[in-house]
Amino acid sequence: MRESSFTRALMAAPAQALVLACIVLPSVWLLWLSLQDATFGRATAFVGLANYARVLGDPYFWRAMGNTAIIVLVVVHVELVLGLAMALLFAAGLPMRRVMLAVVLAPYAVSEVSAVVIWRFLFDADVGPLGQAIPGLGDWAVDPAAGLGMVCLLSVWLHLPFTFMILYAARLALPGELYEAARIDGATPWQAFRRVTLPLLVPPILVAMLFRLVFAFRLFSEVWLLTGGGPARTTEVVGVYLYLEAFRYDAFGVASATGWIMVVGSFLLASPYLWRLYRQQGRDA
Amino acid sequence: MRRWGKLLAMLLIAAWSLGPIALIAASSIKPARDIFAVPARWVFTPTLAHYAALFAKWPDFLAGLWNSTLVAAGATVLAVAASTVSGYAHSRFRSSAMDGAALLLILVRLIPPIVCTLPLFPIVNALGLADTHWVLIVLYATFFVSLGTYVMRAFIDQVPRELDEAASVDGAGRWAILFRIVAPVAAPGMLAVAVFVLVYAWNEYLFAFIFTARHAKTAPLVLAEMVGAFDGVDWGVLFAASTVQLLPVLGFVLLMQRHLVAGLAAGATKG
Repeated sequence: MRESSFTRALMAAPAQALVLACIVLPSVWLLWLSLQDATFGRATAFVGLANYARVLGDPYFWRAMGNTAIIVLVVVHVELVLGLAMALLFAAGLPMRRVMLAVVLAPYAVSEVSAVVIWRFLFDADVGPLGQAIPGLGDWAVDPAAGLGMVCLLSVWLHLPFTFMILYAARLALPGELYEAARIDGATPWQAFRRVTLPLLVPPILVAMLFRLVFAFRLFSEVWLLTGGGPARTTEVVGVYLYLEAFRYDAFGVASATGWIMVVGSFLLASPYLWRLYRQQGRDA
Repeated sequence: MRRWGKLLAMLLIAAWSLGPIALIAASSIKPARDIFAVPARWVFTPTLAHYAALFAKWPDFLAGLWNSTLVAAGATVLAVAASTVSGYAHSRFRSSAMDGAALLLILVRLIPPIVCTLPLFPIVNALGLADTHWVLIVLYATFFVSLGTYVMRAFIDQVPRELDEAASVDGAGRWAILFRIVAPVAAPGMLAVAVFVLVYAWNEYLFAFIFTARHAKTAPLVLAEMVGAFDGVDWGVLFAASTVQLLPVLGFVLLMQRHLVAGLAAGATKG
């Protein structure tokens, strides 16, 4: 088929223009700003890596990093275990499967803000049905550990549908003949899971895990709306730390450096995936 | 025995994912004294008092719903259009430049949105776009155009190239082929992308929080203000507002469930 290379470029252009203008170029500019003594986007003096040194020497940053690590690890693993269990339950055949699928999907439609309203109420120390029923649960506003627990609970609730859908789609893609063969060979359901399902699901599980790691790492709204990072900055995560440095403490250079630390962190988390992508491209060429 | 186990698992799943939503929706029409009953009361005389109070005390909320509607519609149109065109390009054209463009779309997904708010903040202010619908429309579309392109590419890959070639023989150009022949066949993909963007744009908090203040303030932002109101939280009003914010998009997701699942399977883990 004949068309000018101009037409080809024009068709790819809108998406490229959007990401270049709103993500790539701003990020590059941010790298420049992170090396400056900057206030709100105006570079004033080149300070080299001083902003990075300040961030990495700030105990609040490390507390935020530690909190983020805890939340990310808990949330991603709980999601994977629950998501996998539910995917297998659905694949094994469930009465009213379509209705149940809708039920599982429901939290996907809920905004972070509405989710915070819901869970704050449930766990409210004075009026919440769970906060009152179970002593200690209502302490999340004053006890940092309970606050982080609430953030984890909220995140799992919001993102489980996504993790479940990926794993369920992967499970449905496995050929049914394999299970037929396993059954004929006299495999128990546990053996079929252990020897057939699990090995075949490892690649999609890893992909789902990497995606959730990268996306959980950037969490902001859940923490901001639930605890605001408090009490006394004990439940801050990296996203909240960055926001406070930029918009409350006017330390734009420090915030920029934090931003680039987040970018590098995301790329490191995704590096196994990027490596696989790189190898695939090499094979195709 | 197995049957009972499955039934129990289904009950637990329903209680976990639907229970909290149902409780909030039910509480929004409960008389104030029944809201705080423990254990939760499911039999009560319904009242619309909280809704009346919501719209009387928070005129901002109605404006927020309107802003959310505009922003979500704009972002959806922009993202679906850009994703369809570029999804077609990535499905049909092969070159090292296209490979590079495809890789870039994957890499940008690794950059956290909150990081982009820093450099964008002064730019948006300088352009006079702060507190407008445009800034949210463009940002929401941008952050889904990459997933959208991959979803559309997967769907368009399913459309036989012979259709393109036959149309080309009849004298149609690439744009005509895309709009008249490929797009209608790949419409389920466009619906899937639309569901992703619409849900995201309707619910998003961070960008709205940073870039809007009064005129373009979206519903989640007003809802967050209610949560933080210092004269004590009015739970009844809050439940009414949450329910109004939540139910339309919940209905939409359940209606579009099939497309959402197909879209996730097609592109979520590949891009």
